[in-house]
Amino acid sequence: MWLTSKIKQVLMVARPGVVTLKYPFEPRPAPEGFRGAPHWDHTKCIGCGGCSNHCPARTIMVRDLCQEIRVLLYDGSRCTYCGRCADVCPEKAIAMTDRFEQATDDRADVTETLELFMLTCQRCGRCYDMETKNAIDKLGLTGYRYDSLEARTVIRRATDTFRPAELERTERYERPDSTGD
Amino acid sequence: MSVVAVFVNVLLFLLLAPLFEGVMRKITARVQSRQGPPVVQPYFDLLKLLGKDRVDSARNWAFRLAPPAAFASILAVAALVPLGSKVNALGARVDAITLVYLLTLGGVSVLLGALASRNTFAAIGASREMVTMVMVEPVLAMTLLVGAARGHSLGLGAAVFGASAAGYGLSTAVMLAAYAVALQAFVAKQPFDIPEAEIEVLEGPFIEYSGPDYALFRWYMMMKQMVYAWLFAAGFLPFLRTGSYVGDLLTQLLGTLLVFVAIALVGSTNPRLRIDQAVKIYAGLIAVALVAVGLAVAGL
Amino acid sequence: MNVLDRIETELRGRLGAGLERTESPGPARLFVDVERSALRAAAKALIGLGGRYMVGIGTDEIARKGTLGLIHTFAFDADHAAVVLRTAAPAADPVFDSITPDIPSAGWSEREYQDLLGMRCTGHPKPKRLILADDWPDGVYPLRKEVPHDLEPPAAEDVAYRLDEAPPGTTVVPIGPFHVSLHEPEHFAVYVDGETIKGCDYRGFMTHRGIEKLCQTQVSYNEVPFVAERICGICGSVHACCYAQAVEAAAGIRVPRRAEYIRTVMLEIERLHSHLLWLGIAGHLIGFDTVFMQAWRVREKVMWLSERITGNRKTYGMILIGGVRRDIGPEVRADIEGVLASLEKEVLTLKNAVIGDGAIHRRTKGVGYLSKEETARWSLIGPVARARGLRLDTRKDHPYAAYDDMTFDVPVVDSGDVWGTLVVRVLEIFESIAILRQALAKMPEGPLMADMPEALPPLRHAVSMVEAPRGESVHYVITGEENRPERWRVRAPTYPNLQAVPAMLLDNQFADFPIILGQIDPCFSCTDRVAVVDARSGARRVLGRAELERMSRRERGKE
Repeated sequence: MWLTSKIKQVLMVARPGVVTLKYPFEPRPAPEGFRGAPHWDHTKCIGCGGCSNHCPARTIMVRDLCQEIRVLLYDGSRCTYCGRCADVCPEKAIAMTDRFEQATDDRADVTETLELFMLTCQRCGRCYDMETKNAIDKLGLTGYRYDSLEARTVIRRATDTFRPAELERTERYERPDSTGD
Repeated sequence: MSVVAVFVNVLLFLLLAPLFEGVMRKITARVQSRQGPPVVQPYFDLLKLLGKDRVDSARNWAFRLAPPAAFASILAVAALVPLGSKVNALGARVDAITLVYLLTLGGVSVLLGALASRNTFAAIGASREMVTMVMVEPVLAMTLLVGAARGHSLGLGAAVFGASAAGYGLSTAVMLAAYAVALQAFVAKQPFDIPEAEIEVLEGPFIEYSGPDYALFRWYMMMKQMVYAWLFAAGFLPFLRTGSYVGDLLTQLLGTLLVFVAIALVGSTNPRLRIDQAVKIYAGLIAVALVAVGLAVAGL
Repeated sequence: MNVLDRIETELRGRLGAGLERTESPGPARLFVDVERSALRAAAKALIGLGGRYMVGIGTDEIARKGTLGLIHTFAFDADHAAVVLRTAAPAADPVFDSITPDIPSAGWSEREYQDLLGMRCTGHPKPKRLILADDWPDGVYPLRKEVPHDLEPPAAEDVAYRLDEAPPGTTVVPIGPFHVSLHEPEHFAVYVDGETIKGCDYRGFMTHRGIEKLCQTQVSYNEVPFVAERICGICGSVHACCYAQAVEAAAGIRVPRRAEYIRTVMLEIERLHSHLLWLGIAGHLIGFDTVFMQAWRVREKVMWLSERITGNRKTYGMILIGGVRRDIGPEVRADIEGVLASLEKEVLTLKNAVIGDGAIHRRTKGVGYLSKEETARWSLIGPVARARGLRLDTRKDHPYAAYDDMTFDVPVVDSGDVWGTLVVRVLEIFESIAILRQALAKMPEGPLMADMPEALPPLRHAVSMVEAPRGESVHYVITGEENRPERWRVRAPTYPNLQAVPAMLLDNQFADFPIILGQIDPCFSCTDRVAVVDARSGARRVLGRAELERMSRRERGKE
């Protein structure tokens, strides 16, 4: 009946009351297991670049400055907080923190850069024997990488030996703004 | 004294109408388990709108004239009504028909503005507003007629207070029922907030208006609501009469506040009806109102 | 003889030499290759045998065989099977017979490949542009492999979509591309006579993002679920799960049972979320904001629960090929049970408050009526079809994940209007709660991921169906050679349902437009997912505004 429905509708409100939270004037912590911004533990990272190969948003860049130094850059501006990087990291160096208040006007606030000193493998120079059991989750670890850190672009090109010319090319890399056809 | 009352009227209506609107919004929010905007939010809204640029998107005189015309009409109504049970200097010179005329003039100004906008959605909103006006304003006229019939005069004092002055009659009770339902349509709240249905016609008649023009329309709507709610409190609740001007002023404003609370509760627990469904209800209201008038003329 | 054998025999009889080959990789799937001259006859035969059209897929096989392939999929719900009809045409002459005159639901599929692959379907009743922007250059077919995924052709000026002819005596009300009652940009040109709707033309696909092309050229197998999840804001898990299931079927991967149960749990939580959201939206569309706020207050609990289980309120990120990523441990289980208990109480209160409300009845009963026969003719699915007497539910018809172990009802009413869809969705909420309780109770122990020691075999076809909250979602996958799908077709439930909206709108009041559209619970982001990155948006903005201005200021015809 119409009137009883109306009464029920008003009563439906009486129990929960006002549910508006006072956030941001009161803090609101994220629950356990929340996938917030990832954080790299530089003491554990071995610089394999597996995270970069599996990031769906192409937001982790790896560049070799020379045979010994590898730079890993995470740019949080496009990160989707999926957590695949943390999944595939063989050393569990990446943790998904509970930080979700990431809004800022300075890109540096959401960027993490690691500079890693890489030992050279005795046999071949740069490879890791840590492939996973899943053939479709190959870490793709071999080679020297030259992603463009300035343009924040992942460039899928790896070479067996370090090539300074490649490094120079990607230092000057510019994103195409229109391919016009 | 009665000249001062004119200014008191205008001031009270201008200043309190946004407050009542804010109270309605707060109650609606509480029914929806929300915190809601602060009660003084409509003042901020009006101030913000008044500070914006004036955009004349239709570029014709009717479009520019409509907002001040509507605002002026409702200011005139505010000046005339016997707030505080006192027929003031202006009110003594007019009668109930002027009141109906001025209220209708406001509605016509909205229509003028909507049709002058040359916008499809405004046209749909205008046609709905027209239908609503044609079907619902007669209920207002008949409310005043009941008062006039019982008070034996078309003057404002009789028209407004006559319905309950000489004790409650059958006609008063019937008219009360019709007016109470029509009140939701007068103040354009669910289930009868059809002309400006945001989800369907994007604000309807006001879609092309912004800035100070829109502020005038919104203030017009708020004051119009207050007039209708006050009419209910003044005309149908005789126990609010204290005998003194200031006393009656306070009790009538309090009564208006309570009427607004009821409007907000009904509005937040009802969906919006379609215009064809609403028209059937309005037709029923007119019939009931006619019965009330007949009873009043017959002396009941 | 089982149904697939019966179908094969029947087709052989009808088509004779036109039938090239059949293969049946499993008990529920039959792949039939036909010559293109026999396509229409084969499609008609399958419909005659009781099939329901699902979706069409176009493929670019030019490099491999010099042809463009066209695939039509049919579901045989009562027999729990699906039949896939495949044909091809040489790239120099990509002409097919249109099957739309017999199967209205194929209309959009064929128009899609006209735009994207350059096919031509002769006899199509409305061969207008569907997906691509109107100023997209001719001759550039985005899904062809020769076209790079990040192509940005220059925009043209002053090219507008020509709307259908308005019926005489009507005015056009432009709903869109931006309108308060629509969540995403799309354009409904509604032809009204006073307040009665006399016709409607739809122009959508304004938010297509090139997802299929992207996932066929750029990302890898296990990155696709994360893209798939973002096809839709509400059916994320559905798309990820359906894709994963299709790849698993194509590659012959067996998902561990516990993972299937966890997938079921996520899918049902998503259904709860979606139906509560819809209840709120439906309330808002009929002007009843209190129902909106209260339903969404209840939905907030589901979102909190999702955050607790998966780490995110909506993009769950749980599904990978071969299993799931996270486990549901005992504390999480306790949380789920708690939320389900409180949810049941709250939804019951909401239901009691809403179901007897005469004002809501007035706005929803008799509105948006479509008969059972029309619904079947348009191949509609989901609550829209179940409100019109069609007992279609992919969870029962083509069981997947752990649904074969679950006991639940499929609510079907036959009122045929918006009220019916409301009732069906509210009842489904209670069924979902029951399924969740069963899934939690029966969940077996075990691993979460299958072992995949070898690369997935390439060029295998598979089709997979999942019951999204809005209806049946279909994914077709052809596995590829570079650790990514060769072809991936996503068909969301809104795709066929939208095609029938003009029929549902006819002769209703204009004020009911939002709720009639709302009853299919339209998810335009799900629908618009194909094609390459579009032409520069600047040109299209001007386009929309100019067209709208022209339409809204046009002199009105007879009122």
